[in-house]
Amino acid sequence: MQLYLPIAELPLNLFLLLGMGGAIGFISGMFGVGGGFLLTPLLIFVGVPAPVAVATSSVHIAASSVTGALNYWRRNALDVKLGSVLVSGGLVGTVLGVIFFNQMRRLGHLDLVITLSYVTLLMSVGCLMFVESIGAMIDTRRGRSVALRSPGEHRWYERLPFPMRFHRSKMSTSVIPLIALGVVIGFIGTVLGIGGGFLVVPALIYLFRVPTSVVVGTSLFQILVTMLVATFLHATVSQAVDVLLALTLVVGGVIGAQFGARAGQGLRGEHFRLLLALLILLVGIRFAFDIIADPNDRYSINATELER
Amino acid sequence: MSARVLRLLLVAIAALITPPAVAEELVLALSTREVAITSTYTGAEITVFGAIERDASTLTRTGTYDIVANVQGPAGEIVIQRKGKFGPIWLTDNRRRYAKIPLFFSTLTARPLANVVDENTRERLKLGLEYYLPGNANPQGEKDIEEFAFRNALLRLRREEGGLIEDDKAVTMIRPNLFTAKISLPAKAPTGLYLINLSILSEGVPLKTAQAGFVVRKVGFDAFVANAARFDAWIYALFTVIMAVLLGWVANVVFRKD
Repeated sequence: MQLYLPIAELPLNLFLLLGMGGAIGFISGMFGVGGGFLLTPLLIFVGVPAPVAVATSSVHIAASSVTGALNYWRRNALDVKLGSVLVSGGLVGTVLGVIFFNQMRRLGHLDLVITLSYVTLLMSVGCLMFVESIGAMIDTRRGRSVALRSPGEHRWYERLPFPMRFHRSKMSTSVIPLIALGVVIGFIGTVLGIGGGFLVVPALIYLFRVPTSVVVGTSLFQILVTMLVATFLHATVSQAVDVLLALTLVVGGVIGAQFGARAGQGLRGEHFRLLLALLILLVGIRFAFDIIADPNDRYSINATELER
Repeated sequence: MSARVLRLLLVAIAALITPPAVAEELVLALSTREVAITSTYTGAEITVFGAIERDASTLTRTGTYDIVANVQGPAGEIVIQRKGKFGPIWLTDNRRRYAKIPLFFSTLTARPLANVVDENTRERLKLGLEYYLPGNANPQGEKDIEEFAFRNALLRLRREEGGLIEDDKAVTMIRPNLFTAKISLPAKAPTGLYLINLSILSEGVPLKTAQAGFVVRKVGFDAFVANAARFDAWIYALFTVIMAVLLGWVANVVFRKD
C-alpha cells in the first residue's frame, strides 16, 4: 500500500516503512544505540531526500528511546543522575557541533571530515570492542573471573575534582570526565547526524566500568533528550521533519524496541559487547567500502529543490 | 483628422490584425486543470486533446501532421556532484549548481523526434531534452568540456530519476486532424505550474504552436501538513516532539508484561 509523504514529497510503501522502523527499533532497544547511523542511510536509499531523512530519523530515535528507557527505568536499570550529567555536557557539545558544522561547510571540507571521521570512529570503536569481548569470552571459558571493574580502584580521570556518587551505576567519579564525554558525544553526534549511542555505550563500559545492564538504559535516556532537542531544531530551523513518515517509522520502531529490550536483557555482558562490536564494524566496513570502491557513477544528483 | 485619413487607418489596422488565411488553427483541451496530491497519490496521467482546424483557404498538405508537445514543470535548483580520487579514497571533488531549471520536462511525440525535424529546427524551437538546459552543447576549451560533462550527467541522471522524459508513443493521431497526447507525471512530480507548449509540423516545417497549462498541488491532509510545517513551524515541532514521547510511552504500556 503506497502512502504519499507530504514533506518528503514521494509515495512509499507503508509496510516497508513499518518494517524498517521495526528492525531499527529492535536494534535500538537491544543495544541502547539510537539506530540513527542505520536508519538515515536506509531512508536515503529508498529515495527520501537527505535532509528529510536526517530530520525524521531523530523523531523515530526519540520515540524508540522513550519506550526503551521506560523499560529499563522500571527494571531499575537506568541511572537518571548519570544520564543527566551526560546530557548537560551533550547540549554544550551540540552547540559547538553546529558551529563547527557550518564553519566546515563554508570551507568546503565537510564531506571529507564527515566521511573520514565516520569510518575511523566506527572501525576503531568496533575493533577495540571486538578484541576485548573475544578476550573476555575466552577468559570466561577458561574459568577465570572477569572483572571489568574492581571496586575501590580509581583511574586518574576519576580522581579529578568535583566527585559524585552514582548509586545505581555502583561507581563514584569526578563529574569532569563525564561532562567531557557528554560534550564529545554531543559534538560528534551533531556533526555526523547521529545520536552517539554507539560511542556512549562502550565509553561507559570501558572508561567508567558501569555495569552493562545500567549502561543501556542510561544511554537511551541520554539519546532521548538529545533527540527531542534535535527534533525540535530540525522542525523549526530546517523544516524537514515529515510527520507522516515519522509516524509510520515510530509505530514500527516502538514495537521493535520492545522485543529488542527483552532480547538485550537476556544477553551476557561479553556476548552483548561482541554483538554490538560486530554491528558497529559492519556499518564501518560498509562506509569504508563506499569511499574505497570505484563508484559506478562518478556523478550524482545531490539535491533538487523547488524554488519557493 | 479627416474622415478619409481615418478610413485609411482603419483599413491598415484591419490588414495588420487579420492573419493571412493560409495556416492551420490549433485548439487544445486538457482532461484536467488540476492534479491533486493526496495520501494515495502515486503519479498521474493527463490527456491533451487537440484539433487541427483548416478552412477553405488553408494550403493543401501532402504529408500528415506531426505533433511535438513540450511539458515544462516548475523551476528549481539541482546540484550535481562528481567524485574524484584522493589517494586511496573517493570523495566529492567538484559540483555544479543549476538554478532555475525545470524540475520536470518531457517531450511527447508520435514517432522519434529525430524523424520529425532536423537538428537546426530542433535547436531553434528548443524541441527535445538537450535544448531545455542553458549552456553550450558543443564544447571547445578544457573548461567547456568539463561543463559539457556535467551537463550530460545532469541530463542522464534526471532521465533515470524520471524528471526528464522523451516519449515517442505518447501522441496518438485519432483522425488526420484530431490527436491526443498523454502526459505521465511521476510519483515525485514537483508541485506547481506546468506549461504545455504544443507545435504542429508538416514535413519538418513548424506550422502552428499553442499553449496550455495545469497545476499540481497538495490537497487535504497533505496540504495541511505541508502548510503547518512551513508556516507554523513551532507548533509543528512541538507536535512532533509530543507525538514521539506519547507513542513511545503508549507502546511501553501496551507491551508491559508485569
